[in-house]
Amino acid sequence: MSNPLLVFWAQLFSRREAVGRVPSQAHIESAAQASSAIFVVMRRMRAPLITLIVIFFVSVVGLTLIPGVAPDGQPARLNLFESFYFMSYTATTIGFGELPWPFSNAQRLWVTFSIYLSVVGWAYAIGSLLTLLQDRSFRQALALRRFTGKVARLREPFLLLAGYGRAGELLAKSFDALGQQLVVIDESSERVDALDLASYHSDIPGLRANAANPHHLTAAGLDHPFCSGVLALTNNDETNLAVTMTAALLRPDLPVIARTVSAPIAERMRAFGTPAVVNPFDRFGDHLRLALNAPASYQLLTWLEAGPGGELPERGHPPTDGRWVMCGYGRFGREVTADLRAAGLDVTIIEAGATDLGERGEPEPGVIVGDASHPGVLARADLASAVGLVAGTDNDTTNLSMLATARKSNPQLFLVARQNQPTSAALFETMRVDALLVPTEVVAHEVYAQISTPMLWRFIREMPAQGDEWAADLIQRLRYNCGRELPALWKVKLDAEQAPALGGWLADGKVTLGDLLRSPEDRKRRLLVVPLLLVRGDEAVLTPDGETILKPDDQLLFAGHGSERRELESTLVVDSTGAYVLFDQQIPSSWIWRKLSRKNRTPSTLDDRSDASSSHV
Amino acid sequence: MNLEKVIFGFFVLLAATLNFGFFLGDIANPDLHNIYELFAALAVSLIATVLKFGDRTQIGAVHLATSLVADLQLVAASIVWVWANEISAQGMTAVHTASMVSLSGGALLANLVSVVLLVTETVTFHRG
Repeated sequence: MSNPLLVFWAQLFSRREAVGRVPSQAHIESAAQASSAIFVVMRRMRAPLITLIVIFFVSVVGLTLIPGVAPDGQPARLNLFESFYFMSYTATTIGFGELPWPFSNAQRLWVTFSIYLSVVGWAYAIGSLLTLLQDRSFRQALALRRFTGKVARLREPFLLLAGYGRAGELLAKSFDALGQQLVVIDESSERVDALDLASYHSDIPGLRANAANPHHLTAAGLDHPFCSGVLALTNNDETNLAVTMTAALLRPDLPVIARTVSAPIAERMRAFGTPAVVNPFDRFGDHLRLALNAPASYQLLTWLEAGPGGELPERGHPPTDGRWVMCGYGRFGREVTADLRAAGLDVTIIEAGATDLGERGEPEPGVIVGDASHPGVLARADLASAVGLVAGTDNDTTNLSMLATARKSNPQLFLVARQNQPTSAALFETMRVDALLVPTEVVAHEVYAQISTPMLWRFIREMPAQGDEWAADLIQRLRYNCGRELPALWKVKLDAEQAPALGGWLADGKVTLGDLLRSPEDRKRRLLVVPLLLVRGDEAVLTPDGETILKPDDQLLFAGHGSERRELESTLVVDSTGAYVLFDQQIPSSWIWRKLSRKNRTPSTLDDRSDASSSHV
Repeated sequence: MNLEKVIFGFFVLLAATLNFGFFLGDIANPDLHNIYELFAALAVSLIATVLKFGDRTQIGAVHLATSLVADLQLVAASIVWVWANEISAQGMTAVHTASMVSLSGGALLANLVSVVLLVTETVTFHRG
């Protein structure tokens, strides 16, 4: 690069090129991996195919050389074509007989020989082919090829989901219900089979591969223009870190959500870009604190995070003061203890291994060292005077036995439990604990709230500040308008695309939220829709009231059933409906009537826009 | 010495020489073109094709393409022979012979390209 202009050019553009080139190179390599299997098949089929050709050649030529006798008694040989025809139907076991005339004994001797030869040849060739088809690496390569093809053909935004465990499955169900396309990578073939068996509306491509490998992520569409986000939800923190890293380096523009239960790993993830890290233990601690301080807020939060169709959960009545007993002081125990103490509660800790406690240097006050599942150890914690117990070890059997013992000694205890295995779900359900942590569910709900609509996530983050009474009131309104099952949440942006009918009125400040939410059939009836959030610029208003005056480009998050949503949409889109709903005016909906009645129309801004918007009518 | 290379070179060369032997002689005279030679050329050409399977290099791809062309031409020549001998009433006329031999001449060209490729590959081979 001696030319200074070239050097300048390279410095100017090399950065951009590098970003664009890395994904495509990775993609080529993953495609090459897939096609190499085809070459292996062709290479291994060489020997059987050549054997077949040689056998055929020898037997055909041999048959033309052996003397035979024609029907008229003259000596006659088969020519090459007749011989080829005969060998073709004999070698493939079709057997039409001796054509064109009966063979001499010499010919029969040669035919016997070549029949055995060709049968061996065919058996060898077909056997090799079948062995190759059963070959594990070959099948994997074929699966990878099919998968990459499916992903490459996707023409709608999709999320890349690494890890199809319990959390992944719950999320896939929620997103599928929303019509959001997914692509799944999981290391276990059982999980990928489970994906195939599950009945989703859309066809979700699944790949059995290690997500920590960037080639596999690229094959799953990391560099696909329609990839809209990456979710790292495997059980392995290292893998999640690798996925976060790969996504941040190859596609810095994509949002990444990663799951981890370890704080150091979370720190390392945050070193790459700005991934949203979900720590189920941490989140459960926050939820527990919220549940203690504001039961109604907690109830609203769990309801909204449950996804469409979720039942309204029961409102708990946790004790607001008193002493808690914490069994198991691992990563989970520490997070929850910190949250309980932050809520101003006394905590007694029971921990079996002294090693975990020693990490912090000094033994904590109120720590009992011993196996918590042992009744004697629990008795030392003086359960009779406690108000709550957290069974937070990583062993479900221990947790269950602790819960049973604790309930026997003090039936009034508020019981919190951690469920580790999905198979224990039925047991924990029959125990009827007051708060249950299922880490996979916490992760699924959290990710759902963050990804499904960004406005819901904003609502959830700002909600606790509004207080418990506000939350109780909102739950009442939601129940009155939408029933006990969580309705669909949807957002509307009041711009030219989604609300063409309102354009001019919005700019004039004539539209209030209360008027907008009237029924197009009878404007005296209110739509059964609850406005949850109004976002204007950077400012957000939770549950805006009916007096709120709407402005252009406002974003609104609504909760309500699909039928109500369609009515609201007709108000937003159709001019005449909008005029009736907002101002009780009757406007002719056809262009001709509008022109005719132009003179006696009440003043409004419709004049300027009637031509532009007539296509919506 | 690489045994695979010996076998490969042997078959590529043999396909070309057999093809050349068949092509040699007056194009319209059936007596100068032995049908067994054509059949042998076809069989060897097929074997050479299979030997070229599974080579991922650029030159391997061209090798395979030339072989497939040769196969196609030789199969066409054989079909012309079968047609003339078994189906048409006139038998091996000068016209049939000429078209059969010229088809095999096309195959010869493809086989020569194959040989050129083989030689090029050998000449440009650097150890280490």
